[in-house]
Amino acid sequence: MQQNKRPRFQGSKQRYNPPESHSVKPSSHTLQALTSAALMLPGLLISPGHAAVTDRINFQYSRYQEGERNLYGVPHSYKPISADVLHGSGIFSLTDRAKFTFGYTQDTWSGATPVSTTPLATSGGNRPYTVNGVVAGASPLLRSSILLDHDLNPIGRDPITKQSTGVVDTRSVLVMSSASPETRRQANFGLSYEWNEAALNVGGGFSRERDYHSSFGSIGGRLDFNQKLTSVKFGGGYTDSQVSAILDPDSSPYITKTAYAQQIVNRRGSEILKGDRQDWVANTGLTQVLSKNALIDASIGYTHSNGFLENPYKATSVIFIDPADLNKNVIRGDVRALIEQRPNIRNQVALSTKYVHYISPFNAAMHLGYRLSVDDWGVNTHTFDASWVQPLGGGWTLTPRIRYYSQDAASFYRPYLFSQQNYINQAVDSFGRQIWIDKKDPTVQYYGSDQFNLVDQSGNAVDAFSVDAQPKLTLFDAGKLPAHFSSDHRLAGFGSLSGGVVLSKILGKGVALEAGFEYYTRASSMQIGGGGNNSFADFDYYVANAAIKFDIEPVSSMPIATSGGSSAAHTHSSLHHHKIPPATVMFGHMLDKPGDFMAGYRFMYQWTGGHMMHGAHKVSDQTIVDQGCGNKDCQFAPQFMDMRMHMVDLMYAPTKWLNVMLMPTFMDMDMNLRQLAGARVDASGAHGHHGAAGHESGAVGDTYFSSLIKLLDIPGHRMHVNLGFSAPTGKTDIKIRRSFNADGGLIHFGMQLGSGTWDFTPSLTYLGEYSRWSWGTQISGIKRMEDRNQSGYRLGDMFQATGWGGLDLTRWLTASVRGVYTWQDAIHRDFNQYNARIGPMDFPRNYGGQFWDMGFGVNAQIPGGRFAGNRLGIEWVQPIRSDFNGYQLDRQGMLSATWSYQF
Amino acid sequence: MFAPAGMKRTRNIAIAVAFTLWFGVTGCVHVAPWERGNLAKPQMDIDPNPLQTEMQSHNYSSREAAPSHKSSAGGGGCGCY
Repeated sequence: MQQNKRPRFQGSKQRYNPPESHSVKPSSHTLQALTSAALMLPGLLISPGHAAVTDRINFQYSRYQEGERNLYGVPHSYKPISADVLHGSGIFSLTDRAKFTFGYTQDTWSGATPVSTTPLATSGGNRPYTVNGVVAGASPLLRSSILLDHDLNPIGRDPITKQSTGVVDTRSVLVMSSASPETRRQANFGLSYEWNEAALNVGGGFSRERDYHSSFGSIGGRLDFNQKLTSVKFGGGYTDSQVSAILDPDSSPYITKTAYAQQIVNRRGSEILKGDRQDWVANTGLTQVLSKNALIDASIGYTHSNGFLENPYKATSVIFIDPADLNKNVIRGDVRALIEQRPNIRNQVALSTKYVHYISPFNAAMHLGYRLSVDDWGVNTHTFDASWVQPLGGGWTLTPRIRYYSQDAASFYRPYLFSQQNYINQAVDSFGRQIWIDKKDPTVQYYGSDQFNLVDQSGNAVDAFSVDAQPKLTLFDAGKLPAHFSSDHRLAGFGSLSGGVVLSKILGKGVALEAGFEYYTRASSMQIGGGGNNSFADFDYYVANAAIKFDIEPVSSMPIATSGGSSAAHTHSSLHHHKIPPATVMFGHMLDKPGDFMAGYRFMYQWTGGHMMHGAHKVSDQTIVDQGCGNKDCQFAPQFMDMRMHMVDLMYAPTKWLNVMLMPTFMDMDMNLRQLAGARVDASGAHGHHGAAGHESGAVGDTYFSSLIKLLDIPGHRMHVNLGFSAPTGKTDIKIRRSFNADGGLIHFGMQLGSGTWDFTPSLTYLGEYSRWSWGTQISGIKRMEDRNQSGYRLGDMFQATGWGGLDLTRWLTASVRGVYTWQDAIHRDFNQYNARIGPMDFPRNYGGQFWDMGFGVNAQIPGGRFAGNRLGIEWVQPIRSDFNGYQLDRQGMLSATWSYQF
Repeated sequence: MFAPAGMKRTRNIAIAVAFTLWFGVTGCVHVAPWERGNLAKPQMDIDPNPLQTEMQSHNYSSREAAPSHKSSAGGGGCGCY
């Protein structure tokens, strides 16, 4: 790359340089000697093990996919947990020594998660349900009964029919419950400053989920000693988290929450469990060079947590046994689920060491790590990991890795508990008399052993026929339960083994690709020092990810000799960049020189909300109820829907007249529904009680690829055609979770993440410029090339025409105004699977229409200075007129923002 | 209560080991700047694949009870699934 231009960084960490370019060639002895002499200057020595990072931007996508849990043959339709994670991060130099870092992570997960553990022998657990007499799936049944022998061993039942087998069966099983997709977003920022032999960094950020908010801050630093053979690191951080767990309305009635009664509030029909937690961390460590081929890194960290440390969605099964039954041969146990109770304080200490050795014959590095952690919950852990970083030549690096982990169970972990008391008892007064209350007046109490032999508060006998006495009931005595209990399998004793590879490739021009894969398997039998005896919770997962990294050279790291004039030199080249179209216009410009590469990021936020519309007019709820859902009544309408699209733009010019583009997308959406005024709501409806929950979906969207062909390029006028396609990488079979004994079915058309079909996306663009003025026009379309997608429907075709004019406000800033006309066809065909059809958004004809919009935008091309060559654009698209097909929620506008960088 | 006795002992041992190691090696190691070519290679970074490490540690911490590998950075969310 630029290594030859940058003598001051010779021998430093250029991650994207092919590693072998560092190896000493016999012909460069003189250069090496000179470089080494230069490296004697303290400021130019790098700290071993700590990369001198260059400015860069990273994008990463990863997919986490778990395997099925063991439900002992119970037929079910649970999808295992999966998560789609999008990550973007960057490092920018503010000055020669100060850097700014940022990161954004968004993950959307869905699937079935364990809510509790019970003996397999209960009458509940994962209870199969039937549709038309056929077992169609399983649903969680948390309140059940169990038969025990006189030693309290469970007497087995068939997991499917629940008929007693008469044989002792001590197996346990996870009780699963499915979840609709949920999204978490995290943003973090940092500032760092480097001195010659020290560094300091501060950072902070926040993470947001519907039910969990946390904010965090940290400070850290490094001091180098001993000619940088030794570095000492230190750091501290604080995280404040607020939990507001929306208790599953399906299972909540069957979960005992008495321990948290003070923390539960009711909001819009949902029970919300609130809690706060704080985490403090402090760590210190050192990196020491051991020889010219080896270094070691060791650190010790302390974490203190307090507050609500529970997982509010996990319950522990407690088997209540009537003490009077203990002598029987067969004892009936009453199985109840209680929200778990963890200690409110946790202290953890972790010691990590890592040894890195250079293996000369292979030009490879071996990394060996060991980590020990102990805590006051009894969870002691050991982690061993080893990896081998092998450069392969040609810019390729392969890194296989293996890891083994083992943990002891928390002292309060139990798959389930026994309690020798009734779940519900009749209340007893201080004299041991049973208490009764008057049904007509609950404040009046009577005392006595049976209903027909009662006395009142003054001790006078009561006529059993004149009062309507009923037992005063009290719940179990919580004091007889352990103070802390959890059956979250993450606190069980187990071991895990995982392995994977990372493959990376430097493309040159500051671009690197990286792909990784890891397979992980958890087994209670792999715990060091004996099996954890919880093999029912064993599972495995894999993670696959792909990343692209762009190395952005700040102008200041241009050759020192030209640093005075570098800004001018760069300005010179950027003056030749043509004007780019407004931010929303896709496929709007081409690269000019063969070999040029452009990387960019595009964000679009589309907001719908306000009134429901029919054609071009507002429509009343009653009309929607009557007419929006075909021959059914509509029950719900969307209240708002936000759609966000993240798109990575990669563009390359193999020749002057042809550019190729690849644009992976990532979508996420959220929608809230409201009940239509005048709607008759079906009590069993899938949405009936989902007030505070709403819907979210998010993951990979469709992937666009195209070729741009130059038709005309004369001074002031350019024209190109784009022949593009979109591949159906976005899902179209996202489902709402099953609840209230009803399947949620496929989520609304508009919440699916892609078209599901291969689409042809051609466009023709003309661009003109004269002096400070620029203008352009584009016509584009989408033609679906298949009849239907895997869910049975296809989205409508689209045609769009747009024209714009722009004026340079300054040398680097252009303002634009744009008009847009869009025609979009309704959806064709329909879902081929169950969909709840509760509102107009579930009907194909309520999609598409004709739309007129105005766009107002600015584009900036940074001409010089540290960020020269970066281009930024932002545009707001304001709806002017809409003519909707059928019944739809009004459009509020769209925001587009783009960033691009040309190499 | 800060930590149980067993934990304290483990920590003391750990600290002792760390210091012995440090004084043991810093006293005798001399690697001249011009001998640090290998150490400067990207594969010799303590964390050669930071994007991978970040993601792995997020997955581990949502499935295991050990303190988060990147505990000083904070964040991570609930991981309640």
